[in-house]
Amino acid sequence: MKPSDPDRPSVILREHVYDGIEEFDQKLPNWWLFTLYIAIVAFVLVWVAYYQLPLGLLSSTERVERRMALIEARKQAELEATLATLNNETLREMSTDPGHTGSGKLIFESKCAACHGLELDAVLNGIKLPGVPLVDDVWIHGSEPLQIMHLVTNGSPDLTKGMIPWKSQLSASEIAQVVSYILSQKTH
Amino acid sequence: MLTSKQPNLESLTSINADGSRYFLHPADVRGRFTLFRRLFGVLLLAIYVLLPWIPIGGHPAVFLDLASRRFHFFGLTFLAQDLWIGFFLLTGLGFSLFYVTALFGRLWCGWACPYTVFLEHLYRRIERIVDGDSTARRRLADASWTSAKVVRRIVKHGLYILVSLLIAHVFLSYFVSLTRLYEFMKQSPRHHVGVFGVMLFLTGCLYFSFAWFREQFCIILCPYGRIQSALTDDDTVIIGYDRNRGEPRGKKSDPDAGDCIACSRCVHVCPTGIDIRNGLQLECIGCAGCIDACDEVMDKVGRPRGLIRYDSLNGLEQKRRRIWRPRVALYTGLLALGATVMGLFLSGLHSATMEIVRMPGQPYYFAENLIRNQYRVHLVTKRHEETSFTFEVAGLPEGAIVTGLDDLVLTAEKESVQTFIVQVPAAHFKGTFSIELTSTVGPSGEKLVDRIDFLGPSPYLLSNP
Repeated sequence: MKPSDPDRPSVILREHVYDGIEEFDQKLPNWWLFTLYIAIVAFVLVWVAYYQLPLGLLSSTERVERRMALIEARKQAELEATLATLNNETLREMSTDPGHTGSGKLIFESKCAACHGLELDAVLNGIKLPGVPLVDDVWIHGSEPLQIMHLVTNGSPDLTKGMIPWKSQLSASEIAQVVSYILSQKTH
Repeated sequence: MLTSKQPNLESLTSINADGSRYFLHPADVRGRFTLFRRLFGVLLLAIYVLLPWIPIGGHPAVFLDLASRRFHFFGLTFLAQDLWIGFFLLTGLGFSLFYVTALFGRLWCGWACPYTVFLEHLYRRIERIVDGDSTARRRLADASWTSAKVVRRIVKHGLYILVSLLIAHVFLSYFVSLTRLYEFMKQSPRHHVGVFGVMLFLTGCLYFSFAWFREQFCIILCPYGRIQSALTDDDTVIIGYDRNRGEPRGKKSDPDAGDCIACSRCVHVCPTGIDIRNGLQLECIGCAGCIDACDEVMDKVGRPRGLIRYDSLNGLEQKRRRIWRPRVALYTGLLALGATVMGLFLSGLHSATMEIVRMPGQPYYFAENLIRNQYRVHLVTKRHEETSFTFEVAGLPEGAIVTGLDDLVLTAEKESVQTFIVQVPAAHFKGTFSIELTSTVGPSGEKLVDRIDFLGPSPYLLSNP
């Protein structure tokens, strides 16, 4: 006899007994059933739309990958925009601006001084440091501002030297600031 | 007078036999528990609304800054690396709730649960003011749609939506801070679609819950109600009817009757639609409305209060009441253990973090008879003021050179990545060893420690090229 049958006695007690616990047979709340049915329908719709039809809807992995590609593209565009404004002249101009050289000095002291020395002479208390001095006239990879910038960005081509490509750590404008600081201290 | 449905032990009062909802209209109740509950509820609401306004340590008292992943609690700042504290918070709060439940039953539900606080002290107050007492509300619900009814409904639901919006905005301010919330409110929603969507969703949930869903959550959805039978025993203090005193029910003038005069006031005021005289039930949220209702009637008929009262099941049967019992002893022991472990771990929390990572590139470099390892040390300060760091390295062999670890000062809540280099003369290199970097944080003097290996070529090959 269905629970909705009008001739049904008011309450049905089911036969089974577990640990003394018995069970009535009552209608579930309509709101509960409604949300269950909606959830089933929604599941079918989502499954069909996302995985069966070529609607172009993305899975979550695809959405993340698309976001990452956007971020990479934006980073690349920013890098190219910064580099487009930089040439030897503009870098030399930056090296006279205390705003840029000040920021560059802070970055240099935290990241570069360990190898190149606080005085850019690659010496600490008489001990020779791993880097090369930046205040002498020996420039292994070029002394033009753009060449220095290229070296800092991409690291030393000689992988045994230990100068890492800093583009993964510093933005293009930060590298430009460090280079402007180096130029301001350069004597040769 | 319109009659309400009589509760029974076989079905939910609030769900009809065909599955549709029977909307409950609890009657007004006055008494000491109602008063204390209301005061406590107002206090909790005040705390909820005011916490984002109170600045401590430069930030709102509770500010869960998701955007920058910094979580501020009363002057302390936690970063994403401190997420493990969440484990202790959640399990600690959960276990404390179990402990309180073992002693006092569903005290949380009727007195402190945000659902009850919002529903009882905000939405039901609005309903009472707009629609009147329970008789008037039932009459209005059954009436046809006159213009008076339409106006009342619009006013009431308009107020519901307004209150829901307010609650949702306060909730948001815990995550974006009041200043940013105000900025968002001045902008068009286009500029912060996600946040606006969250606010709308919250408002919708609150409105739905408190305008219609009401006690269905407590009875059917909330897991706390369902685990009561596992957490309570016959010595837990619950709300109950003193059967020995009250039965058999009868008229006041009947000398053979018990104290219960079958006025059913306790049924009329119940917000979940039960009859507490049937015993402790799943639906009872411990609101103490039935206690106040019965006490008021007992006063009028000149009988002592407490026919319905806070007592344990044993106490209601006049048996010996125990507070200290094996369950409570075990819970106390576990709570002490948990608190000790949490204390131990929390003492390892510092106001800054330091982490050493090897720099990308070769694992070691060999030049000028020196073996070199290149590291990066990542320093973050959680403090709102300047923090200074001084460094010491231990575990180095003779002749080792360390560069890059100069003293550092970080401004408020900043982070920095420092290069540091360790070089060891080939003659003194005897194989991989571990170096330990200790940083002293000022001004508190805390010590941060991290270790990393120093790698190099095989010492045998070095000495026998």
